[in-house]
Amino acid sequence: MSVSLNEVEAIAKKATRGAGYSWGMAEEAGRATRWLCAQGFDGCASLAALLGRTEGAELANLTPRAFTGEWDAPSGALCPILAGAALSDCAARLKQAEIQMVTVVEPIMILPFAATTARQLGTTINVEWPGLSATTNGAEISVSDGASMAATKVGLKIREGGALGRTAPRQTRAAPQAADWDRLQLFASRTHAPATEESRILGAGGDVSDND
Amino acid sequence: MFRSQSTLISRREPAQVMRLSRLGSLHQCRLSFMRILTRRMAREGWNFSRPVFDVDDQGVGHAVYTAQGPDRVYSLVAFAHDLPDEMRSDRVIAEAWDATFTLFDGVPDAADIDRLSQNVPLQEAGRVSECELSLSRANRSVRLWAHVVDALAKGQQPDAEQIAQVGYLMRTTAVYGSGKFGAADREKIAHRPEMQAPFQAEMLSVYLTRVFVRDLVQHMARAKGGDDAVDLDPSIARRLGIGNSTGLGMAPFIINHPVLFNNWIMAREEAIARVRSIATASPSEVAEFLSLLRRSEKSVARWRTSHEIQIEKVAALRSDIEKLNAFILESGLCGDHPWDKLSNWAEANLSEEGQEFVASLMLEPYGDQVDDLARDMSDANKDAFCIDGSMTIRQVSTLVENCFGWALSLDWSARENCARGWYVSEEKLEPRLGERFDEPIADYEQPLAPARDAAATHAALAGWDADLPIAEFLLHYPEHRHTIRRAQLSAAAPYAEIRDNTISASVLPIDMLRAKLSFFGATHFDPRSDRWVRICMYSGAPYPEELATENADLWIYPEVQS
Repeated sequence: MSVSLNEVEAIAKKATRGAGYSWGMAEEAGRATRWLCAQGFDGCASLAALLGRTEGAELANLTPRAFTGEWDAPSGALCPILAGAALSDCAARLKQAEIQMVTVVEPIMILPFAATTARQLGTTINVEWPGLSATTNGAEISVSDGASMAATKVGLKIREGGALGRTAPRQTRAAPQAADWDRLQLFASRTHAPATEESRILGAGGDVSDND
Repeated sequence: MFRSQSTLISRREPAQVMRLSRLGSLHQCRLSFMRILTRRMAREGWNFSRPVFDVDDQGVGHAVYTAQGPDRVYSLVAFAHDLPDEMRSDRVIAEAWDATFTLFDGVPDAADIDRLSQNVPLQEAGRVSECELSLSRANRSVRLWAHVVDALAKGQQPDAEQIAQVGYLMRTTAVYGSGKFGAADREKIAHRPEMQAPFQAEMLSVYLTRVFVRDLVQHMARAKGGDDAVDLDPSIARRLGIGNSTGLGMAPFIINHPVLFNNWIMAREEAIARVRSIATASPSEVAEFLSLLRRSEKSVARWRTSHEIQIEKVAALRSDIEKLNAFILESGLCGDHPWDKLSNWAEANLSEEGQEFVASLMLEPYGDQVDDLARDMSDANKDAFCIDGSMTIRQVSTLVENCFGWALSLDWSARENCARGWYVSEEKLEPRLGERFDEPIADYEQPLAPARDAAATHAALAGWDADLPIAEFLLHYPEHRHTIRRAQLSAAAPYAEIRDNTISASVLPIDMLRAKLSFFGATHFDPRSDRWVRICMYSGAPYPEELATENADLWIYPEVQS
């Protein structure tokens, strides 16, 4: 299916909220998923997989404990949205030293936050995990030849610098798999209140004629 | 970045401007999106044509209207349907309409029309593509449609009083753009000069919809009356606008797009400040103001509403205009800084409805000084979304206080202060406003109470070392992230936040609807309850064959006999 990037952002935000994240984090996930799709990645697949994995978990246990040292989470695995937002929030730290994250699930989702960090610092940012090295200047991203996108749980390193290689053409649409889209919609639907007759009449002020 | 001139008089304070009662009193002005569009189309000499009008005697079929600008062509593809009366509803939850539309980017071929015919009539249940810029629908005004068809079919012109009572033959009930239901994202067109100002694709689609509706009513009259039928008198046709029913869905928009909304308000406030700073008014400028005041009076006289609050507001506006006439008679708008004097007088003597009426009207003689502000009304800075984690907790607290100082001492647990909640119904995803203490909606609440959330964030920050970077706080309290983002946005966007409680027992969502609709250029706001409103668009506007630089701008003001 062909969807607009606005639709991607909207459903990603709602799905993330539906999965129990805060509104502010849901906004981050919406932007991040949209950015991935604009770069030609299957952002919807990554987010659907992530939300499936984190479902039911206490999110605080997937959040970095602190900005210092190697980043880890109480549960042993970092959520890339929570860790990514934290990375972007402490962007200036990359000026001093690289950041290592012990274990990140669905690591592709960390790339948009590396891009945000690159834009804030006005430099390139390199992200590396076994089998992949990616460099972004914020607007675009290049991935090492033969890189594998398949990793679902890795340790990774983020540092300032790196040369931007061949980048993929920017996409204006996304083509998510129906199963991923449906999964996101299912999460998103948790934000919708069940319709009642009372809310149908009162909730939108439909108590006077609209057919005249 | 917003361009500002050095003006003697500064812009009005956000604390004054961003109150709901004032936002709910805004009037159209030179910077309204419909007027930006018609000025441009006339200036650039756009060409219009109707390559297809394939509608049968029952009023079923399709038509294509094209608008050719200097670099690109856009086409309205219209589908006309035979809708049983009992299915006609303005609500989002409706599933069929009298007419459905899309604005196509270019000129559609037969395959496009075929694809669109299978999707556009379904609206939200269909899919459009990156070639489409909008998706919309309209319903007939049952009162006026039958009357106009019958009169024309008999060879007569419709009754002027009935035309005046309604003002339009069809009203749109939703105009979707920006990537909705598969349409092209805003990014596809944002760089085009003719689409740079906000909502230009949507405004163009409604402009062409009005032409289609006029053509359709004439077609139906001819189908009914045969050789006896006559065409609609052009002067009556001009009076007819396109109605619009706007529901709650528009209210969240201005909260969810704080920078965009700031840019609209900022542009108008900057325009007001520029005009107030003018040292003296020339006789021709005063004459233009007075002439448009006369014409506005006629427009206000035509303003019909049956909503109690709006009846009072329109009555106050009529009385304000009388006071204004008396003031002008006395002062003559001469002397030093006449527009600033007028503004100060209005502030002291008129209702908010009257004050905003004056503020918009006094911009009219100064197109050369304010029209360029239209360029600053979009939101092109996507990076403003990014939180600056290095900002100190003290700085963030101060930003929160700047916008929401008034909200910090409010008892947010008191029923009257949080009586309402915004939610989205699973039924066609209709946005609704519920009663928190009577309905199970709290778990589904949308983040549309920035003031309450700001108070909570401010309280949470109080326990922290004020010199720490906000990143430290955010790491532990992600539930405050959206509020901190808004606080940082407000540093560069002083008019981003509504300075009122959007979930109080007494909130009037129609105030938010009117704020947005006034920037479209809507007139004759007619609230139908506290949460939906009808308006009229393009009433008085020249049709494409009449459009010229002389009539492209001031059509919003009805002509008067001199």
